[in-house]
Amino acid sequence: MNDPPPIGGAPEMSRKSYETVRRGLAKRRAAERRFRCYGLSAILLGLTSLALLFASIVSNGYTAFRQTFVGLDIYFDAELIDPQGNRSPESLATGDYGGLVKRALSKVFPAVSSRSEKRALYSLVSTAAAIELQRRAVREPSLIGKTVKVWLPADDDVDMYVKGHIRRGAGESARRLNDRQLAWIDELIEQGNIEQRFNKTFFTAGDSREPEQAGIWGAAAGSFFTLVVTLALSFPIGIAAAIYLEEFAPKNRWTDLIEVNINNLAAVPSIVFGLLGLAVFINFFDLPRSSPLVGGLVLTFMTLPTIIIAARAAIKSVPPSIREAALGIGASSMQTVFHHVLPLAMPGMLTGAIIGMARALGESAPLLMIGMVAFIVDIPHSVMDPATVLPVQVYLWADSPERGFVERTSAAIIVLLAFLITMNALAVYLRSRFERRW
Amino acid sequence: MNIIAEPQNEIKKERPKMRYLETDRPATPFAREHIKTVGAITVDSPRITCRNVNVYYGTKQAIDDVSLDIGRNAVIALIGPSGCGKSTFIRCLNRMNDTVIGCRVSGRIGIDEQNIYDPQMDVVLLRAQVGMVFQKPNPFPKSIYDNIAYGPRIHGLAANKLELDEIVETSLRKAGLWDEVKDNLAHPGTGLSGGQQQRLCIARTIAVGPEVILMDEPCSALDPIATARIEQLIDELREQFTIVIVTHSMQQAARVSQRTAYFHLGKLVEVGETAQLFTNPMHQLTEDYITGRFG
Repeated sequence: MNDPPPIGGAPEMSRKSYETVRRGLAKRRAAERRFRCYGLSAILLGLTSLALLFASIVSNGYTAFRQTFVGLDIYFDAELIDPQGNRSPESLATGDYGGLVKRALSKVFPAVSSRSEKRALYSLVSTAAAIELQRRAVREPSLIGKTVKVWLPADDDVDMYVKGHIRRGAGESARRLNDRQLAWIDELIEQGNIEQRFNKTFFTAGDSREPEQAGIWGAAAGSFFTLVVTLALSFPIGIAAAIYLEEFAPKNRWTDLIEVNINNLAAVPSIVFGLLGLAVFINFFDLPRSSPLVGGLVLTFMTLPTIIIAARAAIKSVPPSIREAALGIGASSMQTVFHHVLPLAMPGMLTGAIIGMARALGESAPLLMIGMVAFIVDIPHSVMDPATVLPVQVYLWADSPERGFVERTSAAIIVLLAFLITMNALAVYLRSRFERRW
Repeated sequence: MNIIAEPQNEIKKERPKMRYLETDRPATPFAREHIKTVGAITVDSPRITCRNVNVYYGTKQAIDDVSLDIGRNAVIALIGPSGCGKSTFIRCLNRMNDTVIGCRVSGRIGIDEQNIYDPQMDVVLLRAQVGMVFQKPNPFPKSIYDNIAYGPRIHGLAANKLELDEIVETSLRKAGLWDEVKDNLAHPGTGLSGGQQQRLCIARTIAVGPEVILMDEPCSALDPIATARIEQLIDELREQFTIVIVTHSMQQAARVSQRTAYFHLGKLVEVGETAQLFTNPMHQLTEDYITGRFG
């Protein structure tokens, strides 16, 4: 270390302090270096965990976005699917479309004869295939009487096998497909009649017991309605409470008490709000169980303290000089607040609201208490319909035994995270968009 | 506090001085309770009359029994050491102290025979009459135009856009800022220099059409050139407005004001014609302050 020599002619005292400071320098620098290392390693640790989390979720989940389809030559037999013979939708709705699939499969594998083998063969194609054929027939009645190659969703076991999640090496009893079924699948693959395609069902369907028919849309719609209710209630109420407490309320023991209790509420475990919602909204007010309305009300309880605290901080950060300027030219307190304080505090308030919303979006515990954990197949169309939400859907699928739900669980988490990241990005954008300097 | 030890010399004897002799001086010389206002607190046709004004922040008394008249179309400067209550006093005149928690005002402050601390009094009306310019320039984070137009808009002073444009232009002209900003009225007011911002704030105050303008150390955040510009402006504005200015600079007080009031520890010590107060103060404390012995 090459330190410059002390300034010439320094008196004894300053020379002494110079020496003391110089001796201590190495230690100080080492301390600073050490601290930087700690900080850097903390960040690296955090980033590594995040990367591992994303890698594990994406590697488990990305296969769910593709689904195995079986290509079959379907003969749209009027006898089977049009019992009344008039091609009307009513008549077509009563047809035996499963029979079409069975016939097509038997045609591909004519050797299969025994009942049990036939059942094993027919189980290769999803039960949703019949519904899809019906829709097709109603849409295009001209197909009736013709043979068309149709790609039908395979059963989830076939899907898992094609994706490599069922291993051939294991004994027959250790897997859900027997040796004959594997042979049929191999033959179909050889013929080029098995393909992986984009899994549209996953993004358009509601929940199902069958993994290949299960989708995230029902839960996404439920989450959407729940958040709409939460936002519509908690944002105006939270902002109004914050403005009143900051700008109008007298500062005394009562407002102090209220402030302490708002901070306490922010720390209450969310499941407690769920119990409160169950007792108040469902048992007392008799609102419909499992509905996004009740879910939104419960999440409003939960997010209100967060929004109030963030909004108050945002209002506090507006410089008092702006308030004085407005008051000084004769603006009333309300004009001061709404013309000057609120616009300047808005970015902070929006950020707080969106962070509160993001927390509400990821919340599952309080919603379990009010019945949003029910198995709901239909897609909700209003806040009164029974629904579930994305995190609860993740929980439900994670609990299901079928192998197909493993990848769907991860895929649902990816969708949830995409929602969260979008909302946070929106928060950042809004903050920079509305931020004004003074 | 050895300020009274100096023996009276012959020249100073000619004018009467509030001075304690060694023999009868109290235990705490010039403590608040012993200060009595000297000089003429009244003027012929006062715009604002303050009588026995006391201000408390909680239990602390910030202003102690101040009585003072503020004359029409004249500038009165309030001077005194830091913490003497001059800012507190000026903020009483348009009730800006209302925003301070725990602040209590007693006594009478009258404008047109109306006590402004009367519960009937509407502060919005008062502040439209008595405008205020603050220590730090505080333009709104809006355009120059909107800064000026805000006051007239909330008070409904302009019937249409044309009238509003005219108010903005007149106000900016009176504040001597028009030529500098006329081409970029849409630019943010916060983008101006410190001195321009302060003149913008003055224009914003003028735009409401007040009769009295309170200025709380308007130049303390400005450089000497901007300060000179503001002082010149104050002198011009005197013709139309009554101005009360708080300042730390005695030179400034001497330059811009016709009357000066000296505050000390919340008391009004001396008030008089500016020339007289600075050249021939009557009170020992005033003399000590203006000669730089403390403050």
